[in-house]
Amino acid sequence: MTPSTRRGLNASHLVGWVPLLFILVWAVLPLARLGWEGWLQVQDMGWSLLWQPWQDAYLRGRVLWSVAQASASTGLALVLGVPIGWVLVRWHFWGRQWVVRALMLPFVIPTLVAALAVMALWGSWFEQGPVLLILGNLFFNLCLIVRGAMGGFDSVSASRLAAARSLGATPWRAFWRLEWPTAKPAVWAAACLVFLYCLSGFGLALLLGGQAWATAEVEIYTRVAHDLDLPIASVLALWMLLISGLVVAVYARLSLSRVERLRGDRVPVRMARWGNGAWSVGLSLLVLLALNFGPLAALLVRALQASPAAWQHAWGDEAWLALGNTLRFTVLGVSLAAVLGAMHGWAARASGWWRAMGMAPLVTSPVMIAFGLLLLWPQWLDQLWVLVCAYALLAIPLVAAPVAQAVQQVSPRWVDAARTLGATPWRAFWRVVWPQVIPSWRRGLAFAAATMVGEFAVTLLLSRPEWLTLSTYIYQLLGRPGALNAQAAWVMSASLMALSLLVFTLLDVRSNTKPESDARSK
Amino acid sequence: MQQLKPFQQLLVCATLLFMGSVSAAAELRVVTHASFDLPKPLIERFEQESGVSLRVVKAGDTGEMVNKLILSKGSPIGDVVYGIDNSLLGRARSAGILDALPASLRGLPVAEGMGAEGIALSGAQDWLPIDWGYVTLNADKAWFAKHSMDLPKTLDDLAKAEYAKLLVVQNPATSSPGMAFLLATASAKGESVWDWWAQLRQGGVKVANSWSDAYYKDFSLNGGDRPLVVSYASSPAAEVFYSDPKKVESPTANVFLPGGVFLQVEGVARLKGGQQPEAAAQFMRFMRSVEVQQALQTTMWMWPVQPDVAMDPVMSHAGKLPPVAAQAAMGVDDIAASAEAWRRRFAQVVLR
Repeated sequence: MTPSTRRGLNASHLVGWVPLLFILVWAVLPLARLGWEGWLQVQDMGWSLLWQPWQDAYLRGRVLWSVAQASASTGLALVLGVPIGWVLVRWHFWGRQWVVRALMLPFVIPTLVAALAVMALWGSWFEQGPVLLILGNLFFNLCLIVRGAMGGFDSVSASRLAAARSLGATPWRAFWRLEWPTAKPAVWAAACLVFLYCLSGFGLALLLGGQAWATAEVEIYTRVAHDLDLPIASVLALWMLLISGLVVAVYARLSLSRVERLRGDRVPVRMARWGNGAWSVGLSLLVLLALNFGPLAALLVRALQASPAAWQHAWGDEAWLALGNTLRFTVLGVSLAAVLGAMHGWAARASGWWRAMGMAPLVTSPVMIAFGLLLLWPQWLDQLWVLVCAYALLAIPLVAAPVAQAVQQVSPRWVDAARTLGATPWRAFWRVVWPQVIPSWRRGLAFAAATMVGEFAVTLLLSRPEWLTLSTYIYQLLGRPGALNAQAAWVMSASLMALSLLVFTLLDVRSNTKPESDARSK
Repeated sequence: MQQLKPFQQLLVCATLLFMGSVSAAAELRVVTHASFDLPKPLIERFEQESGVSLRVVKAGDTGEMVNKLILSKGSPIGDVVYGIDNSLLGRARSAGILDALPASLRGLPVAEGMGAEGIALSGAQDWLPIDWGYVTLNADKAWFAKHSMDLPKTLDDLAKAEYAKLLVVQNPATSSPGMAFLLATASAKGESVWDWWAQLRQGGVKVANSWSDAYYKDFSLNGGDRPLVVSYASSPAAEVFYSDPKKVESPTANVFLPGGVFLQVEGVARLKGGQQPEAAAQFMRFMRSVEVQQALQTTMWMWPVQPDVAMDPVMSHAGKLPPVAAQAAMGVDDIAASAEAWRRRFAQVVLR
């Protein structure tokens, strides 16, 4: 090991400890505290409590169903999402940039509204049950696989592809032996994320699946929040953590393979024409429309059908407060997650363990964290900085994973060259490595912003009326009867979509938007 | 600023920030559930007149709120709690989170409409009733007219196959109206209530997770397939208030089945270990003032507890309310003793 790398390792691990401590304090400690409280309640039962979820038929069924529906959703999303991602990266068509930007919109919609939108579209064909639940899962998560695949296929080296083709490989063989192995790490990262989201899915399972098809997370939530039955809840959460931890470990191992591509060696995007790519593009758009954009369109139609009185009722004083708060919290949370996520991504570039630890916030149950925080620091729970930290906590893995991937892809020769020319380690990082990482970092930030606007699970903490956000405001509207309230909820959801689209446009990664001229493209 | 050295700049910034965060008035922390809502001018007037600034903390659904208070009782998250109702009061009392009421606020008279049960609740030493309402069934009038069906008249009617498949209830484990409906049926039917619920399950009753899920996804008024939903007696009035286009008659009707109506009384109480006892008493008096009791009818959709407060005209759309004496009453302690067991039994009989 050369002196430079040894010094580099020490510095990066120090950098990595800051986000790791953050995760420890905000995710691991509350979980441990709540678990300890549960342990104190059943000290006499001892270790036999650990096996309860497997002995009780109902709990066992819940856990197995959670895993089954998460696996099914992930598998389907992979089968559908990878080809769509490939098409979106290789073929250009009119409106492509907007399709890519709008992919993340399902994330910002509150769960109840999303369920209503999915039912509006698919409710006449499918009843409440497992199929509708998986459709709902796909609505939320297909975009993750598509984006992951896009990022993965984007890093295929054009010269290698050309070499393979000129050596006689068919397009399919070139894809299977060259493009797919290159894209695999990004796709596995996305698949892991999809699995974790589906496994810990809570509201959607109840709304679209019904009580019979609820996930284990619903049990944990009910027992902690409504029964205060901490022992069983903690044990169940522990088992779910173990299962998720297994998936995360597999992801960490799979995502470590390194891919190198020279700058400027990107495969050029081609213009789709009738007879040449139009079928692929058309089919992809159809699938996206059915699963991803269809419910959003149904939502938009309902919002546009709302009367002027409903628009006025929706956009009262509270809506402007909510808008301001959403923007404020998103900016604060994204800023914090941007720094911590980048730091963690840098530290995790070469280590599977660090990558796995970065996923910890997604593996732990949000209700356990919220109630654990209540036990640890009740006097701080109504402060703004706690809220921002909670937002940032859930966004760190989303930023760290792409950053880790991108840092790994930067050739060490660049850094060595910079160092031999006299740059300090920091300067070499800032001026050589970081500019190459920025596109992935921005992708992660867009995702983080999406989850913050959609407010995953932060509402479980204490909230104050002056912290009203757009999501909370929509839930408030749906907490009262009346046609005005129902229509106002649709109006606000559509406004939320518009706001998010604006945020994504601002955070957009400038990728190769225009197709190469015909002379250079194949 | 630029002339100062960096450390001095930092010191100036920190001082300015710190000064900004020091509040002038005393702060009263109020813990409530998610549906708490009072007009801003009223709250501002209270803050001005009392010299206390209000800091409201919403802690989720009522049941969640009580659990959070129980968990954090070592270092309470508020000074005063609003929203504990008669179904959770026993639980709050046995966990020891409530403090005694000041003497001036004990035994205040309550409205006649609340009946003997309500009057009994007004005698509490640690909890002051603020508003009341009924949890009952709501029916979609248009659906029943279209299908030329009569509304069910008794609980046994409801358990028949043709009505059971029209009903959506909420899970008592996660929803307070769901719990209220279960309490009403259980106290009316005694032990045979579980056979009744099993019959409902066989008939095809739907169980939703929360009021919003049931009302906005499953209720036929909003595009669902169930014309009977467990909701509040004030919901038809709210439907008129929030109607678009403006309606003169409510699209839903209350269905008061004997044994299927629960009297819910919400109140305010001081938290043990809370600060600001004077300000807390002032807040509790404020909640019983005529202006608040008038306003909460159209913001929180409950009836006022204070006698001689004018009923808001829109509340007449709730129809004629049943006399409370006709409903079987359950004491606060009885509820607390049975609630958990009944929740589990419900899950076993209806959900699994």
